[in-house]
Amino acid sequence: MKRPKWGFWVFIAPALIAFILVQLIPAFTGIYYSFTDWNGIGNEVSLVGVRNYADIFEDSGFWRSFLFTAVFAACAVVSLNVVGFFLALLVTQAVPLRSLMRSVFFLPNLIGGILLGFTWQFIFTQAFDSVGKALGIPWLQGWLSTPATAALGLLILVTWQLSGYMMIIYIAQIQNIPDSVMEAAQIDGANGWHRLTKIILPLVAPAFTIGLFLSLTNSFKMYDQNLSLTGGGPYHSTEMLAMNIYNSAFKFNQLGIAQAKAVLFLIVVAAISLTQLYLSKKREVEM
Amino acid sequence: MKHLKRMLAICLAAGLGCSMVTGCTDSGKNNADKEKATVDIFQFKVEVNDALKTATQTYMKEHKNVTINLETVGGGDDYGAALRTKMSSSDQPEIFNVGGPQDIVDWKKNLEDLSDQEWIGKVAEGLLDDVSDNGKVYGLPMSVEGYGFLYNKDIFEAAGIDGESLKTYQEIDQAFGKLQEMIEDGKLKDEFPVLEAVMEYPVKETWVTGMHTANVSLGQEFSSATEAFESESIDFKYGDQLKDLIDLQVKYTSSAKTPSNLNAVDYSMQVGGGYAIERVAVIQQGNWVYPEIKNVDEEVAQHTGMIPIPLKGVSEGNIPVGVPIYWSVNSGSSDTDKQAAKDFLNWLYQSEEGKKIVVDDLGFIPPFTNYGDLAPSDPLSKIVAQHVKDGTIAPWVWTGAPTGWAQESLGVNIQSYVAGEKSWDEVVRESKADWEKARK
Repeated sequence: MKRPKWGFWVFIAPALIAFILVQLIPAFTGIYYSFTDWNGIGNEVSLVGVRNYADIFEDSGFWRSFLFTAVFAACAVVSLNVVGFFLALLVTQAVPLRSLMRSVFFLPNLIGGILLGFTWQFIFTQAFDSVGKALGIPWLQGWLSTPATAALGLLILVTWQLSGYMMIIYIAQIQNIPDSVMEAAQIDGANGWHRLTKIILPLVAPAFTIGLFLSLTNSFKMYDQNLSLTGGGPYHSTEMLAMNIYNSAFKFNQLGIAQAKAVLFLIVVAAISLTQLYLSKKREVEM
Repeated sequence: MKHLKRMLAICLAAGLGCSMVTGCTDSGKNNADKEKATVDIFQFKVEVNDALKTATQTYMKEHKNVTINLETVGGGDDYGAALRTKMSSSDQPEIFNVGGPQDIVDWKKNLEDLSDQEWIGKVAEGLLDDVSDNGKVYGLPMSVEGYGFLYNKDIFEAAGIDGESLKTYQEIDQAFGKLQEMIEDGKLKDEFPVLEAVMEYPVKETWVTGMHTANVSLGQEFSSATEAFESESIDFKYGDQLKDLIDLQVKYTSSAKTPSNLNAVDYSMQVGGGYAIERVAVIQQGNWVYPEIKNVDEEVAQHTGMIPIPLKGVSEGNIPVGVPIYWSVNSGSSDTDKQAAKDFLNWLYQSEEGKKIVVDDLGFIPPFTNYGDLAPSDPLSKIVAQHVKDGTIAPWVWTGAPTGWAQESLGVNIQSYVAGEKSWDEVVRESKADWEKARK
């Protein structure tokens, strides 16, 4: 019996309509505006060709943000996945209170980025400072006031917030590894290190594909934590791409240029994450 | 005939009744069959949200045909972005806020000409310049504010310094130096245990540095925001004096030895967590911080004075005074709603009841000349009002700078300067270049 074709469209329609309305159409109007000089207020919009794109290449602020975002994303991907993976390893062992620990590690992920940013801002600027003053440790003082401490602060915040989420992904995959495989390895005399590198890591590879993808795109697109923790400061040194784009649009009233940056941003993020997906997929091991 | 007399009496009584009702309103039009009007206010001054809400309710009680909805979105940038969203939606506000010449150009299409309003002639001199274009006025000044060096009178007294007499850069520098020495020697430790430095300077807040501190210098180069707005370039005529003013404020903070730390100091560390708890004795702020200080320590708030912020050898003894924001009426609204919006603004700023609300509840220094004896009650506003009266004021010009320039260019460059990343010459050169680039 052949199912009627209309059924397919009826069921896909809600999602499709929503996708077209809030994703596809705005994306295309966005691309259109990137070729205009719109300031975001009036109705006066005139086409300026590729001038916005040409301007971006001379905008040193944009490229500084770009570089910072790329370096930051690279560091965040490593720290998020390493911490997430070891947390997962920890809570899948026979340790006491492990289900409580799972919840605790996951909890920061449930708090909004803005709130977390302000909380950590307090910790860095007040708590760190007080401890540093009391114990006479100079490097604990003046956090977030230099580019290095601000960037490091951001990294700590993101790792703290998102590694719990990565942990959940890795837990699922680690629990999928059959006990028989581990047992066989143990009988054959594989020690902990061998089991980790030769069995667990290869079998967890599919989760790494997802983990890397999520952490990469998340840290590239990050905005709220950036805004509330450092606001891009000091002197724009921790201004990430999303914030740079927002600022061009709403602080400088250059919607056209901001859209051009956003289009470029989209292309770069898509290219990087698709490449990463492709490369990671190739390394996965089928059971 | 008797019948006619009675009719006449009824008519007269009714007429009297009517005029009594309308007597309470300002429009003076017949109230009974007025059309229903809705006025949406979209404003940005968070501090007055509650008081303004009460004012609208008072107004609505007297004007049954008018419904006023108040919506507040705080902070400069957020308000700008939110207003844009509002204006491109179908739910446009009738009354909104504009900041200065750039906003007037940007929002031109949405701005109702207010030149025919009753209050026009009563606005204090010069306060309409930045919202006028071709003889038309597009905004009603919300209030007048001023800033300088706020100082703790108790601490100054304990140190034997007379804050009132400080005017010139030299005098201020010497007094602060003396106070700093006493703090370091622990002479004030018993009375003020947490006092650790003379000043706190929030370099992180680029509006404090790039707008307010810089304005002390730029306000002498340009006579008004409009003049700055029309200028293709900026010379930093008093750039060296601006450098001195920044150096002065950095020098007397607890971060004087590691000035880059100031890049993490924000508004709350300066006001609530600095001045109000007597951790520092002086801050560069304006009369708007009074409620904030009062919330922490009423006595400190009451015992606060204001030293005129000096531009070494150029403008000393003056307080920069200006209008933070203006009320505008949306020209795209229906005529009934527009009229109701204008009536409300006129009532708020010109009726006897409204004047009291403006001064007592909203805590504004009135931007009008016909407020008589009504004067703000908090000590900071009083000082600012006195300077306005004496004419010892300087203008606010930053709204005339290119969009985003004051904070994102100059303010950020000052951060680099304070951190030692850039020399002052570089700051001046780059900020000049950004201004010219934006004006191209």
